[in-house]
Amino acid sequence: MLDRALTEVAASGKTTAVDTAEIKHMLDRHKAKIKISLRACVHCSLCAESCFLYTSHHRDPRYMPAYKFIHSTGLLYKKKGKVDRACLEKIRDIVWQDCVLCTRCYCICGIDIPGLISLARSICRSQGVYPDFTVSGER
Amino acid sequence: MAQFGSADSALRMLYNLAQGPLVWVAFILFVAGSVYQVTRLLALTRKTEAHRWGRTPDAGPLSGTRPADGLSGRWTARLRLSIAGTQPLTIGVTVIFHTLLFLVPLFLLAHNILVDEAWGFSLFAVREKLSDYLTWLFLACALFFLLRRMLLARVRALSSFQDYYILFLAAAPFASGFLAYHQIFDYRMVITLHMLLGELMLVSIPFTRIAHMFLFFVLRFLVAHEYSLGSGRRVWR
Repeated sequence: MLDRALTEVAASGKTTAVDTAEIKHMLDRHKAKIKISLRACVHCSLCAESCFLYTSHHRDPRYMPAYKFIHSTGLLYKKKGKVDRACLEKIRDIVWQDCVLCTRCYCICGIDIPGLISLARSICRSQGVYPDFTVSGER
Repeated sequence: MAQFGSADSALRMLYNLAQGPLVWVAFILFVAGSVYQVTRLLALTRKTEAHRWGRTPDAGPLSGTRPADGLSGRWTARLRLSIAGTQPLTIGVTVIFHTLLFLVPLFLLAHNILVDEAWGFSLFAVREKLSDYLTWLFLACALFFLLRRMLLARVRALSSFQDYYILFLAAAPFASGFLAYHQIFDYRMVITLHMLLGELMLVSIPFTRIAHMFLFFVLRFLVAHEYSLGSGRRVWR
């Protein structure tokens, strides 16, 4: 039943329009934290080594915690929630595939990176954009 | 005080502005902007019960156990596990850079002479030769940051125009002050530029990424998260 529900959600997400007003509302509830976090981030990349995904993916900069939060929640904030489904799917890949929310990331300025990644996940979920764990032909 | 010829009336006017009203404008905007940013940040958080992440508050057989979070144990082990241990060069340069950014202008002889002439008191001043060496050291640190940002892929991936701009804002007053003191190029122009750049930096502090100057202390010491350095008693509203 859960598999069927997930499949339906994943399938429905591909055809449903994005509710940008809802995304904006979700962002507004955390607007101050997002804005301050984006301003406090001095782009030093010192958070990189604290992420095991970064170190295990040949130090690919796309796995840096700062890169992930800037290109997910940061992007949603800069666009004021006015994104399309393709953009949300790119964000989905960042916040679910490139991050496992292990919360080990360390920021020298004290930015709550896991909190911001978690917010991006919530926003994606609200628009029916999930990672598709179902595989055709399997239960 | 620089002496101007009649042919440079525009430069003279700019000089008078830079060493007169613009100083007040810069300091007022800097102080007001900083106070606004800090009070807004505090208003967006609220006090709560102190909570130390990873520590079990109740008594029990494991209550005496120190968690393996790098915050306990010998200071050498803590240092090795900290960011200073994993990135010693960058952290060392950062500490020197930020220390000199504050101390050199504060204890510079020329600045203290001006303050003494204006207000009748001043801080002590270091020898000019020492200020020269410290300025060179600061500019070397700034160059390190510039090269790091341009050459390291991981830093480049995060960089934008504002990152280069704020580094320029921090370094340019030092460079222009050095040139002015040694009277390299036209002194009148360079000293005017020095004042304008310093004022631009002050005004930019609360409204650009340089605000990390005080956001750092609020976020690391007051806001609760796993790596809080202080009590971490504030949470986001």
